[in-house]
Amino acid sequence: MSITDQVLAALLVYGLPVLFGVILICSVGVPFPISLMLVAAGSFVEQGEMKLWQVIAVASVGAVLGDQIAYGLSRWGGRRLINRLSRRIGGEAKIKQAEALTKRWSGAGIFLSRWLLTALGPWVNVASGIAAYPWRRFLFWDVLGEVLWVILYVSIGYAFSNRVQAIAEILGNLAWVIAGLIVTVILGWQLVRYVRPKPEPDPG
Amino acid sequence: MKKLEWRQWLVVLAFVLVVSVTGLFTVRTVRRAIYWHYHQDEPIRPWMSLGYIAHSYSVPPWVLHQALGLPPTPDRRPIREIAREQHRSVNEVIAILQNAIVHARPPYPPPGPPPPRENVPTKDPSPGQTQGRSP
Repeated sequence: MSITDQVLAALLVYGLPVLFGVILICSVGVPFPISLMLVAAGSFVEQGEMKLWQVIAVASVGAVLGDQIAYGLSRWGGRRLINRLSRRIGGEAKIKQAEALTKRWSGAGIFLSRWLLTALGPWVNVASGIAAYPWRRFLFWDVLGEVLWVILYVSIGYAFSNRVQAIAEILGNLAWVIAGLIVTVILGWQLVRYVRPKPEPDPG
Repeated sequence: MKKLEWRQWLVVLAFVLVVSVTGLFTVRTVRRAIYWHYHQDEPIRPWMSLGYIAHSYSVPPWVLHQALGLPPTPDRRPIREIAREQHRSVNEVIAILQNAIVHARPPYPPPGPPPPRENVPTKDPSPGQTQGRSP
């Protein structure tokens, strides 16, 4: 019996507490078949076994809380480690650069990694914490993205309530395709910059 | 084209790796989508409840309850728990359910209304006698 079966069976028997707990530890970074669980919850709502507003509220709160824990741990735990390392081996300027970059881009990064690029979610939590991204703004984008994510997946489960396993398999693969495409574009851009001759030596 | 440093080769390597993994997942996604397009039924899994299976396979729930010798009242338990209670393996329960589903669908006559409560067998029957209607 796979871990997926265990989690879904527990969801069926114990309902909301399981939903809350699993989503919480997933947000902290434990890899669980979480999209499948939300899709299943949507299906159970359609069949009248769970209540829609309860599922959305509990799942959103669990996800946001888990993200805050990951952010907090990396901000106050990870931060100290980074400071100590950079003092010893140098590279403070690099870290400052990275922090500036994260501060500039993480609004969109946090938001998109909540619902579209879910595979990157835990990484973004840690990066935002280490970069000391302002907590209020992190919370704002986090809540926005997580609620969207929960509503999206629960609705998919509601709409395809008789095909939970099938839909979740497709969604699980699709999430990796989207994340992979984005990383491909970023790396490809980097490569183009290496290979393309610099404009200065151009004759003409 | 200029010579690449080792760090740039690392990016090339990462690029090739990411492209292959993305390609792999794309193929998997498309294959799954095509598969589910042609297969109406998803396989019965141990986490599913009788209610969910009945919903997924569009058969009346009581047909499945009857096949396992359970009263036709709503039952939220996953079938792995029903299997444990009835001292059967999950695969055995899945086989019984599949058999019941086949017999509740065309070309067999539709199952009709649920039977009155007192006619429902209460002790677990052996897999052979799960269905009253045989082909």
